[in-house]
Amino acid sequence: MTNNPSNTEDHGGLLVEKHIEYIKSLDKKQDELEYWMTEHLRVSGIYWGLVALQLLGRANDAFDKDAVVEYVLSCHNADGGFGGHKGHDSHLLYTMSAVQTLVMYDSLDKVDARRVIQYVKARQDPATGEVSGDEWGEKDTRFAFISLAILSFFGAEDELNIDGVVAYVQRSMNYDGGFGSGPGGESHAAQVFTCLAALAIARRLDVVDRERLSKWLAERQLKSGGLNGRPQKMEDVCYSWWVLSSLQILGRVHWIDRERLCGFILSAQDPDAGGIADRPGNIADVYHTCFGIAGLSLAGFGGCELAEVDPVYCMPVKVIERAGLRSWTEHLPRGWGL
Amino acid sequence: MHGRRREKVKEPTADEREQSKQRVDKYCALNTHVMDLKSTSVFTRESLDSTKKLLELNTELHSVWNYRRTILTHLDSWQNPDERQGVLEQELEFLLEIIMKNIKSYWMWNHRVWALSSLPCPNWQRELKLVAKLLAVDARNYHGWDYRRFVVSKLRESVEDKDAVDRAEFAFTTEQINRDCANHSAWHNRSKLLPAVLGKSSEEEQKRVLDEEMGLILNAIYTDPDDQNAWLYHEWLLDIQKSDRERSELLRGKIEAIRELLELEEDSKRPLVELVDSFVALENLEHGSITDDEKSECLQILGKLKTIDSYHAGRYRDMVRLLNEQWGASEPLL
Repeated sequence: MTNNPSNTEDHGGLLVEKHIEYIKSLDKKQDELEYWMTEHLRVSGIYWGLVALQLLGRANDAFDKDAVVEYVLSCHNADGGFGGHKGHDSHLLYTMSAVQTLVMYDSLDKVDARRVIQYVKARQDPATGEVSGDEWGEKDTRFAFISLAILSFFGAEDELNIDGVVAYVQRSMNYDGGFGSGPGGESHAAQVFTCLAALAIARRLDVVDRERLSKWLAERQLKSGGLNGRPQKMEDVCYSWWVLSSLQILGRVHWIDRERLCGFILSAQDPDAGGIADRPGNIADVYHTCFGIAGLSLAGFGGCELAEVDPVYCMPVKVIERAGLRSWTEHLPRGWGL
Repeated sequence: MHGRRREKVKEPTADEREQSKQRVDKYCALNTHVMDLKSTSVFTRESLDSTKKLLELNTELHSVWNYRRTILTHLDSWQNPDERQGVLEQELEFLLEIIMKNIKSYWMWNHRVWALSSLPCPNWQRELKLVAKLLAVDARNYHGWDYRRFVVSKLRESVEDKDAVDRAEFAFTTEQINRDCANHSAWHNRSKLLPAVLGKSSEEEQKRVLDEEMGLILNAIYTDPDDQNAWLYHEWLLDIQKSDRERSELLRGKIEAIRELLELEEDSKRPLVELVDSFVALENLEHGSITDDEKSECLQILGKLKTIDSYHAGRYRDMVRLLNEQWGASEPLL
C-alpha cells in the first residue's frame, strides 16, 4: 500500500484520507438529529463503513474491531435474528449486515450459529418458497438473496428449500430479462443484483436470460457516465454497485464504459467533509461511500490500490475466499466466464 | 440518504445550536420513552399515541411500526369486528397523512397492507381509486404499482366476474401508455396481463390484440426511437408467439419499421443496433434466411456503432466476434 497521509491527491482523484476521516466521524455526530434518526440501521451503517475501509486497505484505521464486534453481538435477539440496533426488532436486513460484519472481522464463531440459522429458515414460506424479511411477512426477492447468503456463511444453505427460492426468483423475472421485488414487480437494478446473487449461490444462473438482461443493464449508463436503476431515472452512485455487480456476475462489465463510470463516482465525492454522495453536489453518506468505492473496485479503477470485491457478497474477495465461498465462480453457466 | 444538496458549511449561531439541541433532545426522549414501553410490553391507548408521535417524526422506525401493530391487536376493541373496523379505518387515515413524508417507504406500505388485510370489511374499490391518484402523481412509483397489484388481486378474489377485473387492469395500462408511451411501469404491468388476455381470446381476437400491441409498440418506437423499452417488449412478443413463421413475420415487420426510421435519421443508434439484432434473430430462426449483403451490413453497422455509441463499444466488439464466428464472414475483424 502506498497510502501516504500527506498526499491527499495521490490516488488518481480518490480522496482516500478524506473518506477515512469521514467514516471515523460517523460515530461522533451525536449532536445531529440525523445520527439519532438513523439509529435503527446502525448495524448496516457499520457494515457499509467496514466494506469501504477494507477495500481501501485501512480496516484498522477507523473502527475498533473489539468494540464493533461487541456492539454487533449486542444486537442479537432472542428469536435468533439481529436488529439494526440494540433493542430493535430482528429483520433479515440487519441480520445480514451483522453476519457480514462478523465475517469480515473473522468473528463469526462468536455467534450461536444454530439460533441464526433457525431465524433465517423460519422466514421461508413452505407453501410458496417465498422469503419474508421478518415475522410480519413482507416478501421480497431481496430476502431470497439474503437468506441464502446468511446461511452460506454457516455452510447451511441446504437448510432452506433452495428449489423453492429459485422458483420464486424465476417467477420474478420480467419481459426485459430483469427481476423485480416479486412476481409482477417491475425490473429494478437492485432487485436484479439480489436475484442474480441468489441464483449464483444456488448455482442456478442457468435460468437467466443473459443476453436480454445484459442489454438492459448496459442501458443503465447515462451520458454523465453514472448509472441509473431503471429506465428514465436519474443516475445514482449506489447503482455503480447494483448494476456493475450484476454485469460482473454475467461476465459483461465491459459492456459499459468503466472509465466514465469512475469519473462519475469521483465527481460525487465531498472534497471537504469526505464521503461519497448519490450524485455530484449532494450530501455524502456511508451507504453511497461504500457502494461508490465498491463500484470503483469492480470497474478496475486504476488511480490507487483497491482490494478486489466479490460481486455476490459485496465483501472483499479475500474475506470470501477465507470463508470458502468463492466457488460460485466455478459454477457459472457455460460460456459466461468472469 | 438520497437527493440532498450540499451547502456551504456556516458556523451555526448560538441560537441555532440551541434549537438543534432541543430537537435532538425531544426526539431522543420520545424514542427512549417508546422503546421502554415496548420492551415492557405496554399495550394501551397511551402507548399507541406515543408511537404515533414518534412515527410522525421518523417514519422509518420499523420496530415501532411492529410495536404499533402489536398494541392494536391487544386492545379490547380488536375483539369486536365493528370496533376493529373503526380502529383500522383510523389507521388508514393516519397512514394517508404521513405517507407523503416518504412515498417510497417500505415500512409504511407494509403497514397499509397489514391494515387492509386485517379489516373485517376492506374497501378495495376505494383503495384502487387511492392508488390510481398516487400513480397519476408519480407514475413510476413501484411501491404504488406493487400495492395496486395487491389490491387488484384482492378485488378479484371478492368478485364473480374476474375477467372484468383483468380487462379493466389491461385497459388501465393502455390508458397509461397512450398518455405517455415512455411509462415503463405501465408496459411492465401490461406484459404481466397480456398472456392471460391472449389465453382467453379466440384466434380472431388474438390477432386483433396482437395488432393492437404492434400499434402501441410502433407508436412508442416512432415517438422515441432511442428508448430501449418498446424494442425489448417487441422481442418478448416474439417469445410468446406460437410458431417460428409468426416470429419471422414480426421480425420482417420490425426491419421495415427500422428502415423507415433510418431514412429519417441514418445514424440513429438504437434502430441500428436493433437492425443487427433483428437480422441475427432471423438467421437464428432459420439458417440461410438473410443474405450475404445483409450480413455485411450488420458488420458495417457494428463498426459504426463503436464510434457513435462509444459507451457500449465493449458490447459491439463482442457482437462482431460472435458474428464472425457464427457467419464465418470473410470480413476482417473490425
